[in-house]
Amino acid sequence: MKSALTDACTLKLHNFEGPFDLLFYLIEKNKIDIYDIPIFEITEQYMEYLAAMQELDLEIASEFLVMAATLLHIKSCMLLPRHEEKTDDVLDPREELILKLVTYKKYKEFSEVLKDREAAWAKVHYKLPEIIPVIQQEEELEVSPVILRQCMVEVLNRSRQRMSDDNRKMQRILDQEKVSLRSKVREILGILAKGIRFCFLKVFSPLTRSRIEIATGFLALLEVVKMGRASVEQPVAFGDIYVTPEKAGKKRKKPENEGESDLA
Amino acid sequence: MSSLTDYETIIEAVLFAAGDPVPLDKLAEIIEKDKKTTRGILANMQYKFEHSARGIMLRELDGSWQLCTKPDLDPYIAKLGAIRKKPGLTQAAYETLAIIAYNQPVTRAYIEQIRGVNSDSVIMTLMERNLIREAGRDDAPGRPKLYETTEEFLRVFGFSSLRELPPLEMNEIPEAFENLPAD
Repeated sequence: MKSALTDACTLKLHNFEGPFDLLFYLIEKNKIDIYDIPIFEITEQYMEYLAAMQELDLEIASEFLVMAATLLHIKSCMLLPRHEEKTDDVLDPREELILKLVTYKKYKEFSEVLKDREAAWAKVHYKLPEIIPVIQQEEELEVSPVILRQCMVEVLNRSRQRMSDDNRKMQRILDQEKVSLRSKVREILGILAKGIRFCFLKVFSPLTRSRIEIATGFLALLEVVKMGRASVEQPVAFGDIYVTPEKAGKKRKKPENEGESDLA
Repeated sequence: MSSLTDYETIIEAVLFAAGDPVPLDKLAEIIEKDKKTTRGILANMQYKFEHSARGIMLRELDGSWQLCTKPDLDPYIAKLGAIRKKPGLTQAAYETLAIIAYNQPVTRAYIEQIRGVNSDSVIMTLMERNLIREAGRDDAPGRPKLYETTEEFLRVFGFSSLRELPPLEMNEIPEAFENLPAD
């Protein structure tokens, strides 16, 4: 036993995944029945392994030491004379260890199955996905006075319904509107793209826009000016702002009076 | 298109273009059939691929379907010379994966209890390889993270679903052990 052991020490020491793995190796090596481990021999061999590991200057993980302690504990338990009380209830001190080993063995065996399956299925190859572009189809516009009228009637009905219901009205007031700066920048750039000068308050009129929309619109305008895509003028304090498209890339400083806007 | 063969043609084209596994729901939606019929069509296709002179086959992965080459053709595909194989897993990784596969979702403490050794770095490796993922937290003190296997796990080890895992004969283990604390 011992000579075989020293052989194995030098060859396989670093391969043990943990104390169970080492114990397992010892059990298989000595052809021991896992349910009836000769704890004295196994403990002795286990300790020899640890000693060999120390000799080889391998770092011994704490788990190995814990197992050594457990083995010694079981060994000492078995040395103690047993009290002949209730013979049925006397637990074999090895039991817990055996149960752990059996469980570990199950998973270790399955890990071999996994290894084989992996090797077999590594021979299968897959194709990378095709890039399928999203096709945008523009629907033809179908407009006739009849449809328009019908839509208008629907809108009016809907709004009458909504406004007649107090709860809904409340909900509408409570609902927070989400206006993104980006969308407003895009809107202003869209108007500027037409190449015409426009009045800020005509586009972002308090009659048609909510307060938050106008405020965000103003921030967006500042952004557009910063981008150098437009210049602004406000001839009268608190008056309307005139927005003039600039050729892209040309930077321009903001006029000072802009900050005085009541919308800021 | 109406006959079953036509549906098979559509599914084959869709799966080829998709490359990745396509969920059954999506396929059913594409051919405008209910899921049960679609499953039947897929099972039939799978059989046909398997038993005819085709280089590809159809495999199921957790309710999704994917086309792949047949394993025995690997040597020929290898001649293309462009296939890079990932480095193999360590023994510790297989062990840990085995424990997770059967007990998921599972805590690190539970894995370590069975393996009897620290499994921190192994779990990290498995996560990097996308074989396992985090699956919320356990209710136990400290709310430890739970781990479960991924679709990639099924793919790599050739399971069509977790139900396909071979039964682990645990009946010889008395209840006393099953009641051990999880951490």
